[in-house]
Amino acid sequence: MGGNGEFEPRIVGILCNWCTYAGADMAGTSRMQYPPNVRFIRVMCSSRVDPQFILKAFELGADGVFIGGCHHGDCHYVTGNYRAEERIKLVRKLIEQLGIEPERLRLEWISASEGNVLVEVMNDFVKKLKELGPSPLSKDKE
Amino acid sequence: MPVTVAMVSLASCWGCYQSLLDTHEALLDILPQLDIKFWHTVTDFKYKDLESYKDGSIDVGIVEGVCRTEEDVHILKTLRKKCKTLISLGTCSTYGGIYGLLNLTTIDQALKRKFVEAESVQEPNIPEEDVPKMLDFIVPNRKIVDFEVFLPGCPVVSKDIADAILGLLKGELPKPPVRTLCDECPREKSEVITIKQLKRDYEGIPDPKKCLLEQGYICMGPATREGCGALCPKAGMPCRGCYGPGPNVIDQGAKMISALGSIVDYESISPEELVEKVGDVAGTFYNFFLPSGIISKTVRKAK
Amino acid sequence: MSKEIVIEPATRLEGHAKIVIKLDKNNKVEDAHFGVTVTRFFEKFVEGRLMERVIRIVPRICGICPEAHHLASVSAVEAAWGITPPKAALKLRDLLLQAKTISSHALHFYALAAPDFLVGPLAEPQYRNVVTVIKHLPDAGKKAIELMKIGQDLCFLVGGRAIHPVTSVPGGQSKPMTEEERDEQLKRIDRAMELAKFTLDLARKVVGDYLDVITKLGVFDSYYIGLAREGVHTIFGDATVRVMSPDGKIVADFAKKDYLDYVAEHVAPHSYATHIFFKPASYPDGIWRAGPLGRINVADKMETPLAQEALKEFRDAVGRPCHATLAYNWARVVELVEAVEKAKMLLEDPDIVSTDVKLADVEPREGNGVGVVEAPRGTLIHHYWSDEKGICTKANLIVATNHNIAAVEKSFLVTAKQVFEDKIHEKLKLPEPMIKT
Repeated sequence: MGGNGEFEPRIVGILCNWCTYAGADMAGTSRMQYPPNVRFIRVMCSSRVDPQFILKAFELGADGVFIGGCHHGDCHYVTGNYRAEERIKLVRKLIEQLGIEPERLRLEWISASEGNVLVEVMNDFVKKLKELGPSPLSKDKE
Repeated sequence: MPVTVAMVSLASCWGCYQSLLDTHEALLDILPQLDIKFWHTVTDFKYKDLESYKDGSIDVGIVEGVCRTEEDVHILKTLRKKCKTLISLGTCSTYGGIYGLLNLTTIDQALKRKFVEAESVQEPNIPEEDVPKMLDFIVPNRKIVDFEVFLPGCPVVSKDIADAILGLLKGELPKPPVRTLCDECPREKSEVITIKQLKRDYEGIPDPKKCLLEQGYICMGPATREGCGALCPKAGMPCRGCYGPGPNVIDQGAKMISALGSIVDYESISPEELVEKVGDVAGTFYNFFLPSGIISKTVRKAK
Repeated sequence: MSKEIVIEPATRLEGHAKIVIKLDKNNKVEDAHFGVTVTRFFEKFVEGRLMERVIRIVPRICGICPEAHHLASVSAVEAAWGITPPKAALKLRDLLLQAKTISSHALHFYALAAPDFLVGPLAEPQYRNVVTVIKHLPDAGKKAIELMKIGQDLCFLVGGRAIHPVTSVPGGQSKPMTEEERDEQLKRIDRAMELAKFTLDLARKVVGDYLDVITKLGVFDSYYIGLAREGVHTIFGDATVRVMSPDGKIVADFAKKDYLDYVAEHVAPHSYATHIFFKPASYPDGIWRAGPLGRINVADKMETPLAQEALKEFRDAVGRPCHATLAYNWARVVELVEAVEKAKMLLEDPDIVSTDVKLADVEPREGNGVGVVEAPRGTLIHHYWSDEKGICTKANLIVATNHNIAAVEKSFLVTAKQVFEDKIHEKLKLPEPMIKT
């Protein structure tokens, strides 16, 4: 919970090394402010994101899960981001069937030079999650 | 010297015990070695007999089925107390099984559908007199008591049951699986599998020799452990994962989603088309495994 | 109320129930309850599933008769989508159900029912089971296992698996039968016929020994329900659902899809399995019995010759309608004979090895459909609603055994009165048991 009692969503962000993580780095060095709600985890490719990670994050109480990868055509490993997208969209439908709002799982393609886009996306994600409220699996929730 | 054994069915279909019967002639070898102390479908021992046995006095206990009611939990815990070695027989007991699909909704919704809204019911009413209370969700039995042996399968194939029992009578535990169903399946597989078109199980006439996944039918083979001999693909139907996850897999459904992502051709099947064609994601990938999934039940509250 | 006799669990059945007999202070029977203590809510959790998957989910209602559920299910889906599969597929499905009837009826006769008769009702409970039968009558035990194996192996061949078959899809069957397979099965079905005749002989002896018990204990009126094809006993395919009144008149003979006008459920507060009854007669007057006795009563005749001879013998001894609960076991053996004869007829039909067993083009559509078959234990009704994508939106299931729950409860009331009030057990003529313990 935030200092003033307002709900502060907790976001797990899994970012690919070559694009989105580099973009996050760039945002940092450019002193662009992104919300403190998100914890970033670096993987070599968005295709490394095992659906088990996403489910585990929600099960542990994450209010939102964010995955960042390279734009179509830019994947360092050529096809990784395509595979990630197929998987993640299936997982989104799965969590919806389980009663978790699908908007809590977000996938964006953000390049190394798009630190500003990452910041915008994070701010937007936090805003949307505040509207949704805590995850039904959140441990903070009463 | 016969081994004392107590066999219990919780909420189950009896398919695993039927599979034991389907060892046919081997039964004539197995039965004389067993001193059956409880098996409600076949013998007349009652719950009070089971409860009267000294704790730890029965050599082997076998559990089939899931805990659907509080009474099931009581029977399961009683059996654990009375038995030295406890075997979880079948996918229901080991993973939660197909009844776990009810975890996608609430028990109140289920009671309402069956006893209030069903088209053939007159005077809706929910049974509450002298019937055990329903549990809110299916939880795998291993979260309630400890087991020494797990034999998954829906049902466990007769050979596995016969081997396990005869082995246990010699003091040997069954070996854990090493490979997946795909390794057992005789269908021809290409070096690299790419799915260019997805089909529902009834669409077209499958080629009886080629891998079903390659032909576009969703087959759980890659995420399912070996053991059944690939019965369903041999019969022309895709595997539904009833034997449970392959070795080193935590969540069978999630792993199959992952596998599909690897082999679906993005150019031919977009993610939106994939989701649309799969239709029922939870039912497709968690048909037998939901109560053991990382997220094992709906988070919707009862209304 | 002064005393409650509780028997839990009920044994030698599949499923969970307890029996409660309530006696007043004069030892008169006040009431008897048959409390089914669990249900699993298939009708709820098939909602949202793809229809073709429902066909592979519902066999888990029962591991002894999964074929019946598989077939009622695919029939319901095809009815909902307006599909007629190739006739060879329907014949394979018929054969699958006959095979299951062979092994299930053999299992019931030898393992569930026979112990009471072979060991005798006065033997200690620990001897009243099939293990004792196998030990003392090893030849009968071996034959029983052989007969069950023939049935289960044929189920495996046609269904892909003997327990929880998979081969029925909307539009047909997923694999045809080869000529080699058919030839092998024809050899085995002849052996099955010998074993069925052995079973009939054994049943005849048991019935002869226990005729007094059968015609006196637990006899009461009820309605009866079963499938028939123009009055001829059948368990699968084109047929209507027949209902016979307690005085022996056929009071309904309806199309499967109209079941809701004739079949209704009463929710008993002490049972998770509802009491199903003949809707026009209301509850409790309309309670009925399904399964072998129900089917035998409503049928004018059996479909096959040896079974028809066996039916004639049955009717000469106990009449039509037969209201004797224990006669179920005899009726079951009559049906076993028919299942073997019918399986042989189907195997001899050249269509059974046809390769045209599945439609290539099947489209789902919005609609609802009813599939009805005779499971070993009774008339099985699956009713599904499908959306335009072929996803199940709703399901209503009338499961075979359910038809009998009210009658089972009544049979306890009747029998408890006979035992506690009339002391019938002191008066019945009992034979020397075949197995002495």
